[in-house]
Amino acid sequence: MINVKQLSHSFTLGKKDPKTTLPVLKDISFNVKRGEIVSVIGKSGSGKSTLLNLISGFSQPTEGEIWIDGQQVTNFTEAEFADFRLSHLGFIFQSFQLIPSMTAYQNIELPLVSKGVNEYDRKQITIELLKKTGLINYQGHYPSELSGGQQQRVSIARALVLNPPIILADEPTGSLDSETEADLLQFIKQLNKERGITFLIITHDDAVAAIGNRTIAIKDGRLLEVGDAQ
Amino acid sequence: MRLKDQLAFVRQNVKKNKVRTFMTILATAMGCTFLIVLASIGYGLQQTIVEDTLEQQIVTKIDIHGYEKEDGRFRSLTMDDIDYLESIDGVKAVTRRNHLQQIPTFSTGDYIEEAEAVIAHFPSEIKSGLKLKEGRLPKNANEIVIGYHFPKHLHPDSIKEQDLYSKDGELKENYQYKEELIGKSIKMTVKRLDGEKEVTHIIPLKVVGILEKPTKEWMQDRNVYISQEVLEEIVGFTGTPNGNPRQEEGMEEANKAADTFDEVKVYTTNLEAVKGISDQLDDANYASYSVVKEMEQINMLFTIAKAGLILVGTIAILIASIGIYNTMTMAVTERAPDIGIMKAIGANPRTIKRIFLLESSYIGVIGAVVGVIVAYAVSFLVNFGLPIIIEAAFTEQLPDNLKFSAIPGTLIVISVSICLAVTILSGMRPAKRATQIDVLKAMRREI
Ligand SMILES: Nc1ncnc2c1ncn2[C@@H]1O[C@H](COP(=O)(O)OP(=O)(O)O)[C@@H](O)[C@H]1O
Ligand SMILES: [Mg+2]
Repeated sequence: MINVKQLSHSFTLGKKDPKTTLPVLKDISFNVKRGEIVSVIGKSGSGKSTLLNLISGFSQPTEGEIWIDGQQVTNFTEAEFADFRLSHLGFIFQSFQLIPSMTAYQNIELPLVSKGVNEYDRKQITIELLKKTGLINYQGHYPSELSGGQQQRVSIARALVLNPPIILADEPTGSLDSETEADLLQFIKQLNKERGITFLIITHDDAVAAIGNRTIAIKDGRLLEVGDAQ
Repeated sequence: MRLKDQLAFVRQNVKKNKVRTFMTILATAMGCTFLIVLASIGYGLQQTIVEDTLEQQIVTKIDIHGYEKEDGRFRSLTMDDIDYLESIDGVKAVTRRNHLQQIPTFSTGDYIEEAEAVIAHFPSEIKSGLKLKEGRLPKNANEIVIGYHFPKHLHPDSIKEQDLYSKDGELKENYQYKEELIGKSIKMTVKRLDGEKEVTHIIPLKVVGILEKPTKEWMQDRNVYISQEVLEEIVGFTGTPNGNPRQEEGMEEANKAADTFDEVKVYTTNLEAVKGISDQLDDANYASYSVVKEMEQINMLFTIAKAGLILVGTIAILIASIGIYNTMTMAVTERAPDIGIMKAIGANPRTIKRIFLLESSYIGVIGAVVGVIVAYAVSFLVNFGLPIIIEAAFTEQLPDNLKFSAIPGTLIVISVSICLAVTILSGMRPAKRATQIDVLKAMRREI
């Protein structure tokens, strides 16, 4: 489902010449199969987020290829990647990334609006997800009026709204307490089982890594090991 | 994304920044109003002048002043020219007149009047639209037709000139000629100067018709229309062309009535024919004048003036566009985190650009609409108020139909187009910037 081939990435620092480059990812290759939950672990600063941002198309790799669902996304234009994200990828971020001026309902509905779904269908889908995530009584609340756990559920609902085959999550439990974290992990497992959604989850938390079928470890930008979860 | 949803985004943003949007719309509207009102003065004055000119002249008339010879000098028109002019397609009538080169005195009983004597060709005059109020056209050499205003100035011979007229410029009631003139004999007195000595000659005439009042209110027709034979008699008496009372150098041999015409006018069948015939006359070396031709020159001048005014007015809109640019840049900067999130979860950059372009167009459209409405109001106030102010300040009577400002449809179309083009162009760069927002930076709240 996700196929990363010899991926390298370095950041250019400063605007003056001579430019210094900071290599962050070095020759990374791995596969994520359909229906898997794969967790990426590694110390802070090891390049996990950078890897996920490249897969998400938020930045372009210096070298290497990324294939998702049979398409080489590293060749996409910005507009093509935008459409691809709409049809293939859902996102969960550590800091939720909700739009503060929109209610829970509007935040969840946003990808449907972007896709041009009609109002009736939008309402059906959004209401269903509000119920599923237990937020139906909070639909009119703005993000600032919700707890961290509720905000993260809004962001998951938003990720699910277009029914994507893949969900990419960067430290999804990073801002949550351990109880909410357990709920969330349960929910992820359930989604994986019920809908067959493929998850690629970045974490430095063993509890999160434990729900995965496989774990990929990164150290100093290199792939250390690929191991099956016990 | 559906247009409806894009518009919803625009509405939301406008609502969020009501004051800023209002100010920008205000600036745009002011620019638009300024442009329209400024240019409307060009349109208004043009309309006034064109209407004035058209009102004071007969539009289907072409005056022919002469024929330009190869050496560049002009000669008067002859019968051959008249034949040619009459042969042109679209010509209804060619009138030709000669004026007696002195002002004779006409008298009947105790009443007397000095008036111009004109020799006209009646068949063509009638074809051109001249009508008799009463009586008939002359048949014999000593029969005359008089202009509508001639009887109104006939006055008793014994009264001094300064006592004749009342304050409003009309003959005093008790001096007016009250009798029927048709059928009356009138004596025409012409004179000749033999050195210092004045010799007079009297010709008896008979009034057979009175012409209709001229169509234009301000025109006066006091002419006496005499026959060619009478003219020849006068020429025989003075020995000068067209009855000039004084023998001038180079005139000796021309002691008969000239066979040329002083005043030739071509009347066309309709207004549309004037331009073509005018051009044809130019090509045939006739010096001619028509209102239509003059209109063309006036219109040309006004077109240049209007273009200049529109250009100056556009500067106001350009200044307003700086405001739009600023507003849109701020809108993009403020919403950069939201835009980043929208892009991250799949909004197309093209859609984002369109939303911002819609927003600047919204400002442009509302600004233009408000600008047009205010411009109409200002134009009305100017037309209504300025004459009052000017008349009060300078105690000068302004013409009735004077229009300072006129806003025709074309001006609205031009101004609104300029306004929309400028606003959309000024929204272009901020909109493009919105699409270039880096998702990662935006999500880290770095912009
Ligand atoms: N935009 C950037 N410009 C320069 N250096 C960056 C940028 N983003 C990340 N880095 C650097 O790349 C390295 C990896 O960062 P990141 O992928 O965020 O690590 P992780 O998510 O594993 O903590 C770090 O050393 C970080 O400083
Ligand atoms: Mg990270």
